[in-house]
Amino acid sequence: MYADLLHALPDVFAWTNFAAVVIGVIAGIVVGAMPGLSATMAISVLVPFTFGLEPLVALGLMAGIYNGAMYGGAIPAVLLRIPGTPAAVATTFDGYPMAQKGEGGFALQVAVVSSSIGGIASAFALMLLAPPLSKVTLLFGPSEVFWVAVFGLASIIFLLGGNPIKGLISACFGVFVSVIGSDPIYGNDRYTFGQLEMLDGIHIVILLVGLYALPPVIDLLETPLKTGVNSSNLGTEPIWKAIPRMKGYWKTWLRGSFIGIWIGILPGAGGSMAAFMSYNEARRASKNPETWGEGEPEGVAAAETANNADTASALIPALTLGIPGTAVAAVMLGGLLVHGLQPGPMLFRDNPDVVFGFMWQFLFGAILLVLLGGSLATNSFARLLNLPRPLLGSVIIVLMLIGVYSIHGRMFDVYLMLGFGAVGWVMDKLKFPLPPVVLGLILGGFAEENLRLALRIGRGDPLVLLQNTTSLVLVALTVAVIIGPTIKQRLAASRKPA
Amino acid sequence: MLTIFKKAAIAGVMTLAAGAALAEGYPEKPIEVIVGYSAGGGTDVMARTTMPFIEKYLGNGASLVVKNVPGASGQIGITEVANAAPDGYTLGTFNLPGMMARTLDREAGYDRDSFTYLANVVNDPNVIVSSKDSGINTMDDLIAAAKENPLAITVGMSSLGGDDHFLLIKLQKMTETEFTIVPFKGSAPARTAVMGGHVAVGIFNVSEVAKFAGELNILGVAQPERSEFAPDAPTFREQGLDLINGSLRGVVAPAGLPDDIAAKLRDAFEKAAQDPEFVKAMADTANPVAVVTGQEFRELTDSLYDLAKEAWETTPWN
Amino acid sequence: MSDRSHNRLTRPETLTAVGIILIAAGFLVPTTDLRSISALLPAAMLIGLIVLALVLLVMDQRKAARAEAPVQMTQAPKRVAGAFLLILGYALACDFIGFYVSTAVTIPLVAFAFGYRNPLGLLVATGIVVGSIWLIFDFGMSQSFPAGRLWKD
Repeated sequence: MYADLLHALPDVFAWTNFAAVVIGVIAGIVVGAMPGLSATMAISVLVPFTFGLEPLVALGLMAGIYNGAMYGGAIPAVLLRIPGTPAAVATTFDGYPMAQKGEGGFALQVAVVSSSIGGIASAFALMLLAPPLSKVTLLFGPSEVFWVAVFGLASIIFLLGGNPIKGLISACFGVFVSVIGSDPIYGNDRYTFGQLEMLDGIHIVILLVGLYALPPVIDLLETPLKTGVNSSNLGTEPIWKAIPRMKGYWKTWLRGSFIGIWIGILPGAGGSMAAFMSYNEARRASKNPETWGEGEPEGVAAAETANNADTASALIPALTLGIPGTAVAAVMLGGLLVHGLQPGPMLFRDNPDVVFGFMWQFLFGAILLVLLGGSLATNSFARLLNLPRPLLGSVIIVLMLIGVYSIHGRMFDVYLMLGFGAVGWVMDKLKFPLPPVVLGLILGGFAEENLRLALRIGRGDPLVLLQNTTSLVLVALTVAVIIGPTIKQRLAASRKPA
Repeated sequence: MLTIFKKAAIAGVMTLAAGAALAEGYPEKPIEVIVGYSAGGGTDVMARTTMPFIEKYLGNGASLVVKNVPGASGQIGITEVANAAPDGYTLGTFNLPGMMARTLDREAGYDRDSFTYLANVVNDPNVIVSSKDSGINTMDDLIAAAKENPLAITVGMSSLGGDDHFLLIKLQKMTETEFTIVPFKGSAPARTAVMGGHVAVGIFNVSEVAKFAGELNILGVAQPERSEFAPDAPTFREQGLDLINGSLRGVVAPAGLPDDIAAKLRDAFEKAAQDPEFVKAMADTANPVAVVTGQEFRELTDSLYDLAKEAWETTPWN
Repeated sequence: MSDRSHNRLTRPETLTAVGIILIAAGFLVPTTDLRSISALLPAAMLIGLIVLALVLLVMDQRKAARAEAPVQMTQAPKRVAGAFLLILGYALACDFIGFYVSTAVTIPLVAFAFGYRNPLGLLVATGIVVGSIWLIFDFGMSQSFPAGRLWKD
């Protein structure tokens, strides 16, 4: 297969195919950077157009958009505390405080370099390890996937913020929203109030735009200022000067890449969970965890590495088994089918040039990210923030409407988003943390579905959940995550007096 | 209000002018084809692959534009079709038995009589598969195992109330066996669960497993003859089980479409079915072609409705 | 006295807690129609919300008893309400009148109402935003936006 890999390379450099990647990356950065527009939406809008394109042009565009958008989402996350894509939520934790301290430029440079590194690692995983990693995916049946979801939900305890009661209310709210729609097993309605539009559940982008983008817009309009947000004090320096300041991050990059690739090959969870987990792990490993959340550049590096490291790896189960690792990969599968590329083990044999070419495009997309996103894109977007606040606010409102409307092409979703926006504004003012809502929505329904599938397989016997090694390992990990920090504290406390 | 007016106007035109006059210039403007799923889904790809051929055989510089109205497993889209003006400028994709089953298990904004049946395009027969190392290699193995220990065999499928579920209901009745149903969300996760050994067997459509021949045993195919997608797999009939079942995808128009326009569209579908280029394009996108038009399509729908109704009344699934 | 007790009940956190309890209790009603396995997770979350909101309520009332100042929601309630209403109005206008017209009106209107009043700037910004949306989405990707329910049929 490595011969096939090399054989596919010349085609990738055909100028139309290469141009597609370049355009894709730029478009991806722009889409990701617009609050409200997401990679999922951009690629699904693109899919119908790819019918008329050569396969590698179409796939190159998609690979570029995916890579670009995962970084682009960091731009408003850092500058406005509005994650441009669901995966950029964790980037706001330290990115926005950095921007407030006047280090926004450096935060974005850390983000672009980390994104690129994560993307490159992921592309290599896809190119070199797809067949063995797809075997790993096969180990994960409903009970194992249930424990993965529980593991992810357990990490909510690190996101509760200052007031655990409020954090738990947020988490319960998120999980409750995830059960709206049709029941995962029987298909009957839950809390849809007879609306067909609610049957498929609440799309993550609707919730995200409402909760995260609307409150800052209200803030922009609330303060009667005519100036921009943080005018010229981004603190940007040339990227070659910024990179040496990041040399201490290699452990975080490595860890983030590993976590991202790992989450990518597991079906369903996707970029935001990868970013949250990478952030938590990096903070736990850090020597000075108290600076995290106050503008620690390493936090941005952890989140951004992981949310790009699941891009290509999410395609491993998508290409080999037909099950997408992320929502974006799900849309891309459609784009592949359009070109007669049906997922499965035979795909690599039947269309090696296209499939391996696509993998190369992922790699080049990730590399191009530094060049294209580095200073040019970052600076021009940062300049947008010099717009007078009322104008910036009104433009974001329009983008929010476009992004949410385009998901399914209906106004119903826009009204839902406004409802979540009102909730989000209250939550923001009363300091309810938002990340538990996002994780709860992503993982709640997912955990329920797999738990119930596992119980059906076991014909109601809950022991089925603990009957294999993979499950037991996951349970042990979850327990370690929950009680680990407490034990560490106890140990530290008991050592001190001695 | 105005739709009613429009419909009345069209009905008036129909009775006044001879129908032929209408079809002469048809189509004068782009025809919208409503697909109840997102772009890139199986039904969307079927529609987008088929439409250029329909444009070709309709002539008159016809242009068919796909509009995706996703949501609620196609319900939102097909309801929009049922409520559109029957002027030949709104068509929609139609999935069986799903669209009929949904009129039973929930309140639907349409029924069998809401449509003018143009053509069924795809008939994707069901298959039962097991993983290579499951020890279940034939239907006899499966039935023997199920008889020995009722409910012990787990069956993965894409959902309840779909074609795969109906096949299992037929099989259970025919062989007096009982299986444990595990309804995943979609066929790909179910297929992965079969490959990973998390469920014993799975029920799919032949196009969904054709690319996994090395990993999965096809125990039987639910159509009269062997499928070109899996020529080595035996049919159920070959093994003494009279099981015929599958997933169908076609194109309908709102009820009351003028006869001559309907005839023109049906004719275009029949011509496309004979086009080897069309058959190849469909095979490349995992769509086994079986074109059936007009009255025959309506009868097919009726028979699937009756099947779904019987299944719903004897073993309701929600 | 009455003024004080009035204040205690209108504290934002107290109001929010009461709101959560009422809404969650309301959602519990349809839960009884579901079969038990379907109802398990949503019921658990709703009951969790009610219990947690009760704790929040007690905590906030204790703070009130200690005469701690409540969290302040906004210093400019009129501007906030105005912003919400304008956004809602924009969504309704898109739905009923049409996307492009509403957008072309809303951008300058919102910016003007909230303090940016340079006519040239407003014109240029509106032109650029609406123009590029049309160019990319409508012209480039043939994505349609709401055309306005009022004009339909």
